[in-house]
Amino acid sequence: MIVGKLKPVEEIIAFVSNYKKVAVLGCGGCVSVCLTGGDREARALACELGQQGPYPQAPPEFTALTIERQCERDMVESFLEIPAGTEAILSTACGAGVQMAADVFGHLPVMPALNTTFLGAFDGPGLWRENCRGCGDCVLGITGGLCPVARCSKQLFNGPCGGSSGGKCEISDNVDCVWQLIIERLKERGRLSECMAMFPVKNWSKDRGGGPRKMTKTANQF
Amino acid sequence: MSFFQVNGKCNGCLACVQNCPASALKYNDHPQSRTIQHNMALCARCGNCWRVCPQDAVEFKSLLAGTWDEVANFDLVHCRMCDEPIYTKALGKTVANKLEGNIDKALGQLCPEHRQVLSMASWRKQFDNGDHQPLKEGCK
Repeated sequence: MIVGKLKPVEEIIAFVSNYKKVAVLGCGGCVSVCLTGGDREARALACELGQQGPYPQAPPEFTALTIERQCERDMVESFLEIPAGTEAILSTACGAGVQMAADVFGHLPVMPALNTTFLGAFDGPGLWRENCRGCGDCVLGITGGLCPVARCSKQLFNGPCGGSSGGKCEISDNVDCVWQLIIERLKERGRLSECMAMFPVKNWSKDRGGGPRKMTKTANQF
Repeated sequence: MSFFQVNGKCNGCLACVQNCPASALKYNDHPQSRTIQHNMALCARCGNCWRVCPQDAVEFKSLLAGTWDEVANFDLVHCRMCDEPIYTKALGKTVANKLEGNIDKALGQLCPEHRQVLSMASWRKQFDNGDHQPLKEGCK
């Protein structure tokens, strides 16, 4: 899922302090599940920002509302009703949701309350780990289900490098060397030979190199 | 039946309510009793309720498996040759209104396969009557 992290509250306050009425727009999708931008977080943020705090004058009036998925145009257009008199929107969605709100409510300034951080997996209560970069050319079938694009600091395809020591990456003792993990896993499963061949140069045009990506698809009929 | 189900071990501690990020669970304290309510439309099915429950009382599997609820019921039009259902009477009416015609008549109340057979048969009939344009060279 897409994992987001709340921006520093000072940054958010700087966004909203010049408005009198602000709608905090939660998203019921990924950021709800990762506990940073769902209905509960939107209401908590509205409550917190509504305190006097560092505002030079009276704090803005905050209203919290949440839509199931803020990144879907027709859903936002059809079902999201911004309260009358709202001067600005503070979105707790990921970047895709913020941009959708900005598209749909073009007459209002829309600001992000989160920093969209990574595509991650839920690893246990309260813990999400980045494990996919959405590079557009998945190599997990060869690397034992461990991604060198997201999890190797150098994005090496022929690892490990000389910075790998004791199973850890040279950037931090807290970061596993994914190539160590790949080799250990494949060895354990008797598949080491699968990653021993030299990886060809990766085609990065399927990543961001080819500009913003898009996809068209209809549901399968079966 | 609610999709969100708890077993007999639930003691109403509210851990699930307090930890639901989608605000899909709430409780009401009446003078003598407490009720816990779940709203499936809000539920993100993240599983937090199931994870945090100290009593192991949340039957999360019911939220994953679900059940099929009937949402509508329509009379069908069947192919007059093979009896295969082809469309609903309501759809036929909608299309007929848009086309200002009778869809059953237009389609002959036939499934796609039998429409094709009928079409071939009418071509054959035209050939048999000699009432046809000569085929272009190369056509079979």
